Amino acid sequence: MTDAWIYGSHGSERTSRLLAELGFSPHRVAANGTLRPPDGGSRAPALAVILADGLEQPSCSELCARLAADDDLGEVPVIVALASGGLAEGVGITEGHELLVEPFSADELQARIARARRAVNGIDHEDVVRVGSLEMNLATYQVAIEGRPVDFTYMEYELLKFLVTHPRRVFSREALLSRVWGYDYYGGARTVDVHVRRVRAKLGSEHAARIKTVRSVGYRWEGT
Amino acid sequence: MTGREQFVLRTVEERGVRFIRLWFVDVLGLLKSISIPVSELESALVDGVGLDGSSLEGAARLREHDVIAYPDPRTFQVLPWKPDSIVARMFCDVREPDDGPFGGDSRATLRRVLEQAAGLGYTMQVGCEVEFFIFGPLGSNGAAPTTLDDGAYFDLTPLDVGSDFRRRTIEYLEQMGIPVKASHHEVAPSQHEIQLAHTDALSMADAVTTFRIAVKEAAHELGAYATFMPKPLAAHPGSGMHLHISLFEGDRNAFHTDGTEPLSPTGRAFLAGVLAHARELTAVTNQWINSYRRLATGFEAPAFVSWTRRGGAALVRVPSRRPGRAAGARFELRSPDPSCNTYMVLALILAAGLRGIERGYELQAESIDDQPNGAPRLPLDLREATDLFDDSELARETLGDRLCDVFVANKRRELDDERRTVTEFDRIRYLRLL
Repeated sequence: MTDAWIYGSHGSERTSRLLAELGFSPHRVAANGTLRPPDGGSRAPALAVILADGLEQPSCSELCARLAADDDLGEVPVIVALASGGLAEGVGITEGHELLVEPFSADELQARIARARRAVNGIDHEDVVRVGSLEMNLATYQVAIEGRPVDFTYMEYELLKFLVTHPRRVFSREALLSRVWGYDYYGGARTVDVHVRRVRAKLGSEHAARIKTVRSVGYRWEGT
Repeated sequence: MTGREQFVLRTVEERGVRFIRLWFVDVLGLLKSISIPVSELESALVDGVGLDGSSLEGAARLREHDVIAYPDPRTFQVLPWKPDSIVARMFCDVREPDDGPFGGDSRATLRRVLEQAAGLGYTMQVGCEVEFFIFGPLGSNGAAPTTLDDGAYFDLTPLDVGSDFRRRTIEYLEQMGIPVKASHHEVAPSQHEIQLAHTDALSMADAVTTFRIAVKEAAHELGAYATFMPKPLAAHPGSGMHLHISLFEGDRNAFHTDGTEPLSPTGRAFLAGVLAHARELTAVTNQWINSYRRLATGFEAPAFVSWTRRGGAALVRVPSRRPGRAAGARFELRSPDPSCNTYMVLALILAAGLRGIERGYELQAESIDDQPNGAPRLPLDLREATDLFDDSELARETLGDRLCDVFVANKRRELDDERRTVTEFDRIRYLRLL
């Protein structure tokens, strides 16, 4: 879950080390136009870092565009790292969700990661999401409303987490199935409806309506 | 450790859970539980927990038989009704020590049948209307229960024990992830109905099992007693558990049709399969001697193997199609009562329906105005039903010999016990006359 993928080679060893210090497992993506590292597994990473200095094919902006358009990677926070001389050239400064200028410290990287994740998901670095009186602690799997714990099953929790961390976007049932359930299910898209109903029941009247049914499309989380 | 197991371990730690109840059901669908302290949880998740498999065999226990119960972390749920000491539950898969399936586990049996159906591209969805009674505190064993109200069908009784109780029950159910579609006062005094929203068959069987204990807990907290006994009051209708059945191929309701028939050809063949095997499966849908007292008195309790769109007395009702509501195409089976083993019932309904599809069964004509029109009658009592079940090739193929034999042994024992009992009927009928 805490994989970080690194694109580009300039300073990649140092960046890998800093990411590992912050608890990520870094994977380098080959510079042959692929989007995924050879050893990265099938799940989307928690973070992508593009080392833009010296990056030519594909270019930084092309990489960002392809990441954003990818079905599975579109939600990955992207940090673009530039050499200090690169700022004046302007290449890449408007790309990604957050910008870093080399050389950078582990503390700065951590702060930039938190900002990038917040930009994408609306989550702060402590992994606690608050929506009104609803509080979701992503580190401990706990959900509380007005400070009182609400007990979810694992899949209910995973569904709620996905929706809460991707606010205001509509997801089809199929998209929710593949991104929340993975392939460990049978029962088709109705599984999603059934779980949404259970999650709404547990959320209670104040928060149930935050999971909007978008007719003949899917579901959307409103809030944050 | 997968994410699910980490979720369980972390939640136990964060919520201060003291004990975990590992749930399984016996051959009669009665809930059994083994409690483990938190310190044993991690090893239980990995290695399972040993227990005596004869505890799954009901009253016809033969000899001890070691089996291993593996808790299913997907079913981990903190129980809402033990607020002072936090307790959670998980349903278990029961397996042989060599990791083979244990033939006496009806939950695993349902799961196996569902996997077979999934292999054919089908999943079954089930909705459920559960009726039950809530009485005042029970007197000595055998004494008649006391009703708590004189309410009737859909009555909104004043704020009495009944409505307090329904509200509390629904809160518990929702906290357990069992969404309630509706609830109302039923026809008889002290009788209630709660409708559970449709879900897949295994989740529904788990939900019904959970439902029964949640209802009993909620009643107990209010000083009352809830019962799922099919026919507790002679003068009033009994409690049924109507099942709403539909079959999906991917996201398409395989029962839906745009034609004039109420069901698609697949739906008609499935229903034909259920009807063709209804008599031999009655021992499971109505598994107690008392179940047949409900069926005997009519009043929405079916007596014949028939189907209808409108009548009140047929075994199966097919609701009218609603335009634009393809997902809602289904049929309603009305014989089961809420004291059945829901795992076995759903496994057998699905197997019967699939057999109807595979072999192209023809659906019999619709019954009009509740006339059976030559439709066969359902078994009159548990003895007839047990004999039919014992000879059922479908039941043996679906459930396996072990589950069938243990079930039949339980039923024969129950019948023998009754045969030797002098009842209120005997005394009223014969004491003065003879």
